[in-house]
Amino acid sequence: MAVLKAETIIEAKALYYSYAGEGEDSSPALNGVDLKVDQGEYLALLGANGSGKTTLLKLLNALLMPSQGEVLVKGISTVEAQKLELVRQACGMIFQNPDNQIVATTVEEDIAFGLENLALPSQEIRRRVDAVAGRLGLTHLLQHPPHLLSGGEKQRTAIAGILAMQPACILMDEPTAMLDPFGRFEVLKTVKDLNKAESLAVVHVTHNPAEAVEADRIVVLERGRIVADGKPEEILTDLKLLHKLGLQGTVAAELADLLRQEGLILPAAIMRNQELVESLCLSEQIS
Amino acid sequence: MSRSIILGHYLPGNSVIHQMNPRIKVLVLIIILTMLFAFKSIPGLLAMLLAILLLFAAARIPFRYLLKGLRPILYIALFALIIFLFFTKGGVVLVRLGSVTVESDGLEEGLFVIIRLVTLVLFSLLLTLTTTPLSLTHGLGYFLKPLGRIGLPAEEVVMIMAIALRFIPTLIEESQRLMRAQVSRGADFESGSVFRKAKNLAPLIVPLFVSAFRRADELALAMEARGYRLGAKRTRLYEDLIKMQDWFVLLTALLLLAAVLYTNI
Amino acid sequence: MFIGTDKLTHTYMPGTPFASAALKSISFSLGRGSFTLLIGPSGSGKTTLIQHLNGLLKPTSGKVYFDGQSIGPDKSALLSVRRRIGLLFQMPEDQFFSETVFDEIAYAPRNLGLAENEIEESVIKAVERVGLRPKNLLGRHPFQLSAGQKRRVAFAAVLSIEPEVLILDEPAAGLDPSGKLMLFDLLSRLNRTEKITILVSTHHLDEIAALADNLLVLNGGRLEMAGKAREILARRAELQDLGLALPQVTEIMDELAARGLPVSTDIYSLSAASKEIIRLKRADQG
Repeated sequence: MAVLKAETIIEAKALYYSYAGEGEDSSPALNGVDLKVDQGEYLALLGANGSGKTTLLKLLNALLMPSQGEVLVKGISTVEAQKLELVRQACGMIFQNPDNQIVATTVEEDIAFGLENLALPSQEIRRRVDAVAGRLGLTHLLQHPPHLLSGGEKQRTAIAGILAMQPACILMDEPTAMLDPFGRFEVLKTVKDLNKAESLAVVHVTHNPAEAVEADRIVVLERGRIVADGKPEEILTDLKLLHKLGLQGTVAAELADLLRQEGLILPAAIMRNQELVESLCLSEQIS
Repeated sequence: MSRSIILGHYLPGNSVIHQMNPRIKVLVLIIILTMLFAFKSIPGLLAMLLAILLLFAAARIPFRYLLKGLRPILYIALFALIIFLFFTKGGVVLVRLGSVTVESDGLEEGLFVIIRLVTLVLFSLLLTLTTTPLSLTHGLGYFLKPLGRIGLPAEEVVMIMAIALRFIPTLIEESQRLMRAQVSRGADFESGSVFRKAKNLAPLIVPLFVSAFRRADELALAMEARGYRLGAKRTRLYEDLIKMQDWFVLLTALLLLAAVLYTNI
Repeated sequence: MFIGTDKLTHTYMPGTPFASAALKSISFSLGRGSFTLLIGPSGSGKTTLIQHLNGLLKPTSGKVYFDGQSIGPDKSALLSVRRRIGLLFQMPEDQFFSETVFDEIAYAPRNLGLAENEIEESVIKAVERVGLRPKNLLGRHPFQLSAGQKRRVAFAAVLSIEPEVLILDEPAAGLDPSGKLMLFDLLSRLNRTEKITILVSTHHLDEIAALADNLLVLNGGRLEMAGKAREILARRAELQDLGLALPQVTEIMDELAARGLPVSTDIYSLSAASKEIIRLKRADQG
């Protein structure tokens, strides 16, 4: 049985980005980043504010052009102006403010927005809008105006709009930051489900470690550079690194750390509640 | 918690009139308004009044919306009637109160003006009740296309208006919230002279402006991320096709207008 | 009761077909100097309730009380209520409009009648209380500050009136983890040291539940549960039925207890959890 190597969807090489007019403060927003995202991969991007994670995200779908280096989306360089449409279609993006990404007066028209931009025929647009709405449980909301939607419903509408364009990858910039717990749960579940079921690659920018626990891989940024790249159990339990960057580990990781400081011996890679509970239930000695 | 805000009086429905192409509706309205001003006597206007009432029924619009829609002109209509009753002389004297008279010409002209006004308002009301603001925007945008030749970007103007429509309820909520927040800080937006009130508005206007700019920035980015490009060809989910029955209605309206002008009713 | 309500009911658009009851006969009473958490699912009426407590909204029926008097529509009475009750909305930095940080923080005191010479003192004090240094800050333009600084300035803008009561709606929204910790620490200090009565409306109980004396639980406009925080939090099944999540540490302690470990589950903060688990392990040993 041949195992197909996962296709690389996004490749960033030696990426530098500097915001114009930064004055004497010449430290670039991105200072040499190499990154690869494969098909179906769920990548979490962690970093404090100002670490460059949002800048990186915008470079990945050609909202920004590299100052140096290049970004390839499905083999196409983001600077190729004629192929921009292909890049945008392959790599969709969801933003933090649910309201400020909904363009249309009804849910169905908003989902259709990207497809209208691709100049697809009206029937095809209709077909895709209905399919995607059904997939995400939004069918009953299609005629609703955005101001009557909850935060979670707005974000799911945005996700639907991206999904309708049949992307290979979805980029998310702190999509749950402005949502209540239920909305957060809805959105994360939706994305996780799409990631698994449709092999949709995900790049999820967050500073909430609990959201990064289920990722395939975590990349940590500090001042425009990647300072860590590994599995969640490696990164989220490295509290020294996280604290240094102004981030926190999961509650279980933090509690485990406090207990270790008091002399309790616990396995190093504890990040989930269950893992901590399991370890504590085994007999432990205090040194 | 948001309340359902009925923007521009639109009442959802599935009637023939709801489904008419908005461009045709606008054209037909213009034709009818022209017709209304072409009528020279009351019977013709009454026929139009009857027609509009029948159309309201066909559109399945509850009577109370009619009354609600006429409320704004109630005082104007009454005022006009009184002016005509007491100041237009001619014909038979109907009422005499001392030296003041009300004569039949006054009544006739007064009624003429009022019926025309009411009919006019009702036809316009029918348009806004059966057409979403967005459809209207697209419909009107179509007529702006020729201006593309002198540099007016019709498509973009329509997009701007559509986005504005989308954000009106959101902005209303935002400004209500903001007002409450500033009132909690002791702000007073009610008392004082006009000048004082204007000065006190800074705490409302500045944050709303700042928020609007930020909103525009973020929205533009989101639109770009979804492939929007200025000047590029775009299709639409709802094509707003003109059907046979739309042409039929338009033709009928034109014929009626011609008939009225020709016969000088 | 220092601040509270009696059968407070609020119906939006009463008498129309769109009428909806946001608050249904809510009665509660909070003592002076208490720290209360107001929790409940989205749409339960938390924001509506808060806006009654400083007279922004008028009850459809029932009363709101502050310091022995019911809050009425009289303008000058409302002004004096707002002089003593500070209300901090969600994302308060969105209210900024002034050209200097000083003016922004002085806005409320100026509106509420403090003398100009007192105001400067209040502003400086407020800035220091939120952990910022007045010297370089006060002349700057509020829009030039970092996100964290903006939040603190917004906070100072409410503290500058030296309120006796502080009502906050999701004060930690949008803050990063260290920002949250600093906020909770500040609230704790204001409550314990300066005896300010505090009411926080929030969805997130992590780390703040441990600070609360009282808990109010709203659901669908009704006050489902009200009373001492520890007692209410102990009613796990009811809270779960309402879809309310407990602090993560509490879930960990509950799971340990479910596995048979003799740990207390009256635990709502990381430090308390750590102490309790260590106590258990030391007891095991000894």
